[in-house]
Amino acid sequence: MITVNGIHVTFGRGTPLEKHALRGVDLTIPEGQFVTVIGSNGAGKSTFLGALAGDVIAETGSIAIDGVDVTRWATPKRASLVARVFQDPMVGSCTALTIEENMALAAARGRRRGLGFALRGDRRRHFRDRIAELGLGLENRLHDRMGLLSGGQRQAVSLLMATLAGSKILLLDEHTAALDPGTAEFVLGLTRRIVEENRLTTLMVTHSMRQALDYGDRTVMLHEGRIVLDVSGEQRAGLDVPHLLALFAKQRGGEDITDDSLLIG
Amino acid sequence: MSEIAFFGAVEIGLVYALVALGVYLSFRVLDFPDLTVDGSFPLGAAVCATLLVAGVNPWIASLVAALAGSLAGLVTATLNVRFKILHLLASILTMIALFSVNLRVMGRPNVALLMQDTVLTPFYGLGLADHVVRPLVVLVVVVAVVLLLARFLNSEFGLAMRATGVNARMARAQGVETDFHTYTGMALSNGLCALAGALFAQTNGFADVTTGIGTIVVGLAAVIVGETVLPARAMLWALVGCVVGSILYRLAVQVALSADAIGLQASDLNLVTAVLVAVALILPRMRLKAASKKREAAR
Repeated sequence: MITVNGIHVTFGRGTPLEKHALRGVDLTIPEGQFVTVIGSNGAGKSTFLGALAGDVIAETGSIAIDGVDVTRWATPKRASLVARVFQDPMVGSCTALTIEENMALAAARGRRRGLGFALRGDRRRHFRDRIAELGLGLENRLHDRMGLLSGGQRQAVSLLMATLAGSKILLLDEHTAALDPGTAEFVLGLTRRIVEENRLTTLMVTHSMRQALDYGDRTVMLHEGRIVLDVSGEQRAGLDVPHLLALFAKQRGGEDITDDSLLIG
Repeated sequence: MSEIAFFGAVEIGLVYALVALGVYLSFRVLDFPDLTVDGSFPLGAAVCATLLVAGVNPWIASLVAALAGSLAGLVTATLNVRFKILHLLASILTMIALFSVNLRVMGRPNVALLMQDTVLTPFYGLGLADHVVRPLVVLVVVVAVVLLLARFLNSEFGLAMRATGVNARMARAQGVETDFHTYTGMALSNGLCALAGALFAQTNGFADVTTGIGTIVVGLAAVIVGETVLPARAMLWALVGCVVGSILYRLAVQVALSADAIGLQASDLNLVTAVLVAVALILPRMRLKAASKKREAAR
């Protein structure tokens, strides 16, 4: 359960580059819902996700996760409630560490890290079992550095890492944008499976309207720092990409969509 | 090289192995280029020598010296983490300040340890030559530090520290308090360098404010030599590499200085060190270039 109340975020206040990235976003997401977030470049999607994760602290408004007010919490503190997968596989994992070390890091998310060995026999076995579920043959490569994996493999492992420790919400920031179409398809299928198995409250930012409608239970569109569209249930089931575009244009008072990337996919 | 010169080189190599381990922690693990060591090494020597002259137990004096070094590391970390001063500059500020601090600690530019008991005193009477006893005692300390450090870096806490250096953003997203790990790592790193300074004072019989000059380069040289001769990913072996690198570096310097044909003298040490480090940094690049040229030629 996520409750967002009227959050505002401004970057570079008082400079020529001042950017009012979020202008009063309200959103309530019930437990277990899978929400897809779309919007053109600069609409505030990534800022919104950053605000939920703690990378960006909202100036006004409040954010509560599972009834706990986390508005002022920094990223490491919020990590006990929030699991994330980043757009760039290089950002989301430690390329210089081994796969099992990355998994050990993720498994301790939200827990105090003590002086016990990070990789004990039972934990290694657990990691091996979990990574075997991916069906990528990575269970024999646990000692390899993360940097040796392909982008798709790394995103798959990142998704798995997000589930190693308990969390209230899962944030996916265009996590398939850097992948080729076939690999993106595989990672999205894996995403769906993992979200369903763990019944995670999920926010997935995507650049593709197709993905936004095909995955999840609800779609939210951001434009210029505000939520301009929020569809779910039957209304959403009947939607297709052209409908969504028309709805979006109507919301914007007949303004045409100029961002081609929104139409692709 | 005479036997005494050989053991002397090994001894000084082992003392500086502690510096190398500290530099490995800051440069490699935390990715924090830290020049504080040029100040924390003589700080360790100054604190230890002053306490020894005052009649304090040598082991306690060494421990207090290490703690003083940790404090210096914390100052640098605070300047960087809390006040956002660029890491290099933050460490230079601390280093410069420490020069004055060291003079204050000793009350004069150098302190001689002639009749004082040191950690080595109990071992001199055991029948081995003095120039063998010194490296042996330091070796025991170094081995203990390597084992403890490897154990630490393989713990959950240590793994989080390594992640802080590799990818701070990801570490924070996994709940790692990266600031706290930077403080801890910097304290540990400079504590080791100060411990090296304390052992240096006790094995050489003096502490001098100028002994710190170039410590960072020597430490870095040891780390680089170690990585070249012992390229390992397992934590323990990477640390052993630092120690081996430090000893090899000292032996190489000894050979260079004792070969009369080259005509080098002791005062050329810093020049030789700088050239060695530069070559060690340039070589891997040249090797990569040569390899890619070879591939091109094969096509």
